[in-house]
Amino acid sequence: MLLTVFLLLVMPESVRARLKSAIGGLFLPAIGISTTSHAALQSLGQLGVSEPDPFPTNQALGQETKLRPTVHELQLDNARLAEENKRLREALEWEQRIPWETKLVRVVGRDSFNWWRRIKINLGTNKEVRLNQPVISVRGELVGRISEVGPLTSWVLLVGDPNCRFSALLKESRSQGGIVSPRQYSADPRVVELTYLPNDVEVRPGQAVVTSGLGGGFPKEIPVGLVVDSWISKDGLYTEARVKLHANLNQLETVRVLTKF
Amino acid sequence: MIGAYLIVFLQSHWQGPRLWLGFQPDLTPALLVCAGLTLGAGQVSTAAMLTGLWLDSLSANPLGLSVLPLFIAGWAVFSFRELILREELVAQFYLGTAAGAAVPLLQVWLLQLVGSNPLLGWQMGVWCLVNALLCGVAVPVFYRLAKLLDRWFSHPPHDPNRWPNENRQIVRGKN
Repeated sequence: MLLTVFLLLVMPESVRARLKSAIGGLFLPAIGISTTSHAALQSLGQLGVSEPDPFPTNQALGQETKLRPTVHELQLDNARLAEENKRLREALEWEQRIPWETKLVRVVGRDSFNWWRRIKINLGTNKEVRLNQPVISVRGELVGRISEVGPLTSWVLLVGDPNCRFSALLKESRSQGGIVSPRQYSADPRVVELTYLPNDVEVRPGQAVVTSGLGGGFPKEIPVGLVVDSWISKDGLYTEARVKLHANLNQLETVRVLTKF
Repeated sequence: MIGAYLIVFLQSHWQGPRLWLGFQPDLTPALLVCAGLTLGAGQVSTAAMLTGLWLDSLSANPLGLSVLPLFIAGWAVFSFRELILREELVAQFYLGTAAGAAVPLLQVWLLQLVGSNPLLGWQMGVWCLVNALLCGVAVPVFYRLAKLLDRWFSHPPHDPNRWPNENRQIVRGKN
């Protein structure tokens, strides 16, 4: 037992990654069953919604006044639909405006351990997903980058994971810094830190943070989040800020992989 | 093995607990305690090996890192099970709580030993505590489930003094 563990830990990284991918592949049937049953349950739920009766009986007609929605309810419905329409229109416009090619993918899993922040998506090398491709939310906010690619699934390293660091800048002042994981584990995955900002820059809460494009990992100007607060580092050499991410990393269902940028 | 597979799969693919509690509970230590209480040495080792490998394959941990902490938890219970009141609910709860607290700590220690840099903090301590209590509650549930499955799927032990079915026994005699 000890020898096996030792061999697993000292074997070359590439072999270990392949072995890991192969063992992880054992869960593909379970993912398939879970996805299919979820879709079946959803379609069953839709079957339960019946069409209104075209020939209502007298009794039903008598009850109709009770069933009819009030003006207030209709107004609420209208507002909700208008909001949804606006959101979808924005998403569509955003998709037409961006210069990158994206692939819409579904989130099928998460890292089993709380000390890592990763999600699993349902596309792999079969759909030309490559290592280090940026991943954004449906609304275009930064989510992370591809860290492992398997034949059918891939892992995305989320912003805020200790291994996901990149260059970002304050949109207003164009001051550059680096996004790193928070110093301590927090149950709220939306809080990260922006560090190495020059001391002479005014950092105010509410300022927008975007990717800088430096290093080539992420394209320029992808929205990251908003500054919450800032402070001078302990050694006094630079300013640090806490940034609340735009993307809600706990509730990701579909994301976009930037295939060409 | 099926139980371990299902637990590992649910931990990675069922987001309910993460949304309700703010973290994902890890019930594999409870499973290994249960294995240590009911199964043989080989089965405990295999359970630790497979569960650890499955867990690591669905996480950023180096492959094989979780095997050792789970094996220690399962093996410790297996070694001392004759001295433990293993049928008692309280004993099972304490064993599950201890394993639920020790296994993540061992995993973090090993992670730092191999040079990984996991996200830690005092909130992780709270998670560890709550997870330990959940494991404590899970052990009696798993134990009873294991007993039930054993009763359903295994052949009853041979007892020469017991006729298989009392109704079919032909009793010979003058009465």
